[in-house]
Amino acid sequence: MLPEFDLLQPRSLPEALEMLSAQRGGALPLAGGTNLVVDLRSGRRRPSLLVDISHLDELCAIRREGDRLVVGGGATIAQILDEPLIAEYAPSVREAARVFANPLVRNRATVGGNLVDGSPAANMPPPLLVLDAEVELSSRDGRRTMPLDDFLRGVRQTARRPDELLTAVRWAIPAPGSATAFYKVGLRKSDAIAVVAVAVLVEQDAAGVCRKARIALGSVAPRVIRAREAESALEGYPLTEERVAEAARLAAAATSPISDIRASAAYRRQVSESLVRRLLLAAREQG
Amino acid sequence: MYTAKPLPEVNLPPLRVVGKPLRRVDALGKTTGALVYAGDFSMPNMLHAKVFRSTQASARIRRLDVSRARALEGVVCVLTADDLPDAKLVTDMPGQTGQKQRKGSDAPVLAADRVRFAGEPIALVAAETLEQAERALELIEVEYEPLPGVFDPLEAMKPGAPVVYEPDNIVARWKIRKGDVEAGFAVADEIVENTFRVPFVDHAYLEPEAGVAWVDGRGVINIRVCTQVVEHFRSIARAVGVPHNKIHVQGTMLGGGFGGKEDITVEIFLALLAKHTRRPVKLVYTREESIQAHSKRHPFIITHRTGVKRNGRITAAEITMVSDAGAYPYLSPYVLLYATIASTGPYRVDNLKVDSVSVATNNPFTSAFRGFGAAQAAVAYEQQMDEIAKRLGLDRLEVRRVNYLKTGDRNTTGQVIRSAAWLEETATRVLEALGEKSEPPNEHVRIGQGFASYWQSYGRITWFHDTSRAWVGLELDGSAVIRCGVPDLGAGQVNSLCQITAEVLGVPLEEITIYSTDSALTPLAGTSTATRQLYMSGNAVYMAASNVRRVLLDRASKYFEEEPENLDLADGKVFVKSDPENALPLAELAGMCAADGLPLSNLALFRAPFTAKLDPENLRGDVFPDFTFGAHGVEVAVDTETGEVTLLKSVACHDVGRAINRAAVVGQIQGGSAQGIGYALMEEVQVKEGIIQTPSLSEYLIPTALDLPITQAFVLESGTGMGPFGAKGIGEPSLTPAAPAVANAVADALGVRIHSLPLTPEKVLAAVRGASEPESGEN
Ligand SMILES: Cc1cc2nc3c(=O)[nH]c(=O)nc-3n(C[C@H](O)[C@H](O)[C@H](O)COP(=O)(O)OP(=O)(O)OC[C@H]3O[C@@H](n4cnc5c(N)ncnc54)[C@H](O)[C@@H]3O)c2cc1C
Repeated sequence: MLPEFDLLQPRSLPEALEMLSAQRGGALPLAGGTNLVVDLRSGRRRPSLLVDISHLDELCAIRREGDRLVVGGGATIAQILDEPLIAEYAPSVREAARVFANPLVRNRATVGGNLVDGSPAANMPPPLLVLDAEVELSSRDGRRTMPLDDFLRGVRQTARRPDELLTAVRWAIPAPGSATAFYKVGLRKSDAIAVVAVAVLVEQDAAGVCRKARIALGSVAPRVIRAREAESALEGYPLTEERVAEAARLAAAATSPISDIRASAAYRRQVSESLVRRLLLAAREQG
Repeated sequence: MYTAKPLPEVNLPPLRVVGKPLRRVDALGKTTGALVYAGDFSMPNMLHAKVFRSTQASARIRRLDVSRARALEGVVCVLTADDLPDAKLVTDMPGQTGQKQRKGSDAPVLAADRVRFAGEPIALVAAETLEQAERALELIEVEYEPLPGVFDPLEAMKPGAPVVYEPDNIVARWKIRKGDVEAGFAVADEIVENTFRVPFVDHAYLEPEAGVAWVDGRGVINIRVCTQVVEHFRSIARAVGVPHNKIHVQGTMLGGGFGGKEDITVEIFLALLAKHTRRPVKLVYTREESIQAHSKRHPFIITHRTGVKRNGRITAAEITMVSDAGAYPYLSPYVLLYATIASTGPYRVDNLKVDSVSVATNNPFTSAFRGFGAAQAAVAYEQQMDEIAKRLGLDRLEVRRVNYLKTGDRNTTGQVIRSAAWLEETATRVLEALGEKSEPPNEHVRIGQGFASYWQSYGRITWFHDTSRAWVGLELDGSAVIRCGVPDLGAGQVNSLCQITAEVLGVPLEEITIYSTDSALTPLAGTSTATRQLYMSGNAVYMAASNVRRVLLDRASKYFEEEPENLDLADGKVFVKSDPENALPLAELAGMCAADGLPLSNLALFRAPFTAKLDPENLRGDVFPDFTFGAHGVEVAVDTETGEVTLLKSVACHDVGRAINRAAVVGQIQGGSAQGIGYALMEEVQVKEGIIQTPSLSEYLIPTALDLPITQAFVLESGTGMGPFGAKGIGEPSLTPAAPAVANAVADALGVRIHSLPLTPEKVLAAVRGASEPESGEN
């Protein structure tokens, strides 16, 4: 049963920001509602006011700005899946959208909601983390940007202040010679929560030396994490099988998974290692 | 490579309507939304009900205080055990058979001083709005004194284990002693022994339990509800304390049952609240409440010890089965009986010892689920057959072929198989269609193929003395009416009855109206369970329609001055076979019959074979009317680094005797396959210390469209079944072989076997790495 709440439907972004700040933290933004409505029903959250931002067109655009891609905080997962720019420049982001929930949820669920919800199992953070994406947070008083890596804090915790909206996610289109990969293990082929999710990016020079490496893992720690030691172990070296295997070991060591009804911690750690190795080798071949 | 074994010649009479994939009579109402399901129904002045349930698996209720709930605005009625001194929920023998009920099969309708499982009902609330009813639940105060519980059937059998209910935790035992087992093992070349486990599973029907009840002007309590058994009106009457004829169950079209709506669900709660408030009351379970409140498929631990000759021939088998009955018996004894009799699989085993036991625990209660014990048995016997083949280095079909039952053979209890047993015919079709193994896409992936043969009874245990009734009548405009108590689970039960009537009376399918599923107004047809409705009510309708046909042809014979056998009925006409132009519309014939005072309707009763109850110490004799046989095969890709299993191909072949509506048969086969594949790969109600850890469909996973390849269905028709036109049953059988086929395919891919379902990525990865299996999900 839904608890009682008031619902405001702002006509513009400034109006939405105004409403949020007037409430001094008592209000929650409502985007697709695919997390929030579930939370309301279960009683996990009891806000007195919802500010519906799902119809604000200015939040939904996906566009290219010079060498950067910009995704509006209100862009839906379905939009990501259909957007040629994403297919061309961010295939791993597209892949994460492809294995996201089911078509009904993808039509409602937004990128902003996915990041702000702060779930360690969310699909979109791993591929965005390896792209060094930044999030833009807006409030009545102004705008700030920060790396996604700083934005994600812990289980359902982010750096967002209650009066802020996540208005955009931005990242630089990877340099030539770069390749990315993403894979999510769930307990079924669709509509499954990630048991382990891994994204990687590698940039190789003409000699096959790795110039840049990024590894992100989901569902293996209180937040989606970067495996920095593993990344450092690759940068400046050719991506040999041994080096990749060593990086995979380091990445698995960086995880701190729990055991739950879906899988044990040991399984999550083992599969983290296998997937990091597998995805790095796949990216190496594409680069 | 395998080639399909040629089919024996069968000469089935040509039919005009039966067998065709016609549009089902229920299709339009469902697709347009005109059909009103149980949860969609409302009445003026209606109250909304909720059930207050135990959060403890084993506890004494020290104090229960509903005064604050009663005082809440909008709350009209709160009932506890104090208000219902003698209300018992009879959990045995749904239906019409009039046989004595087992001792100890009762559960309290509302727990009085003790709760035995988490989810057990304690109080009922009816309020003006659903919100008020929900708020009232929060105001009910209860104090529990935890009692030691028992959560593992093996533990529950040990001396000193907490007793769930007196006298002990043994709910049922069955034994088979056949031939000389020791002598059989003595001549064996190899002895193969394995233990297999299957988990709790939820029915996960689309439609959770729901209903509305009201008391009418005659004082009759009407209950409009989704149920597989309208005959529960008798048990409901007993629980509520009114005569049988004061309860009227109006069954609705179901959004799935699968056995989960075979036991009473919301009916007694609704009847009690309607009786106490004298107002219409509605109760609809949420998905979460449904998972907590209704039965589960029994977990089983099954051990096979099989002696075999080098050529694969079985010389002896010793089988033990332990099932977890949960906190109340419900249908556990009968589920165990089915499992016991099916335990060998469709193979001739002359020296056989089976010991099975069902044990009470403080886990969720278990009862009927599509396959009814025979499905659990198949998971074990078909994996065992593959293990035997592996040990002997024999082909997997060959090991089965030398043991397959044939028509005329005696089964586990000595019952003679009378119908066609097309085991090799079905298995070879499945294997041929699977073809060569696909190439693995990369070195992490291994491909495996597996298949399973099976047998499954259709029709109820014959010592229940099962009957069904149906009424068929022709209207004066040539249209027809059927009245039959059959509940339709969504499987096409009512449509089949219409197609049979259309065939017999020559009335076009669109001109037939069926009234069904009403305990007072339609002749009682018995339960939609046990794959019995086509067999039982199909025969009853066939009899009733044939009796009407006789009257029509007799009258027409006077008109045409032709012998009745020279006349036929089709397309709304009676005509002379040798001169079809010489015809008369049925409306005119009906008018002539009416003018002569001839009966244009008939009420028929069909009886299954009746047998005596068997000796539980050694089951010997006939137990079932007949069996369906078939096979399922799959190809899987196993990712050896993540443990993920992907189904690449799925093929099923069943001898259905005769398909009444081919599209519905294929639908059953594909749906049953999906449920069986889910059973193999992902479905498990995880239970820890009696508490369900998978409380919603976000934790309890069933397959999605992306998990399932389209199952290619071969529908064979031997015409040898006991149903109308030689039909057998396919509702439950379609599920049975799918899970063991998947398990065998995964074992084929890995080269090692995982002995417990579901085959989660975690277990698969552990098997790949040769680690010991994680012991999750055993209790
Ligand atoms: C059936 C189902 C399947 C799912 N499967 C997946 C899956 O496979 N992978 C996955 O990652 N997730 C999945 N989810 C979770 C959910 O769909 C996603 O997290 C989704 O992206 C949330 O977006 P939303 O727009 O619906 O957010 P909402 O539910 O509207 O909001 C979520 C939270 O974010 C806040 N919020 C939303 N937008 C903004 C914004 N622009 N600025 C500031 N705060 C904001 C809200 O206040 C709320 O706290 C699933 C959910 C369901 C119901």
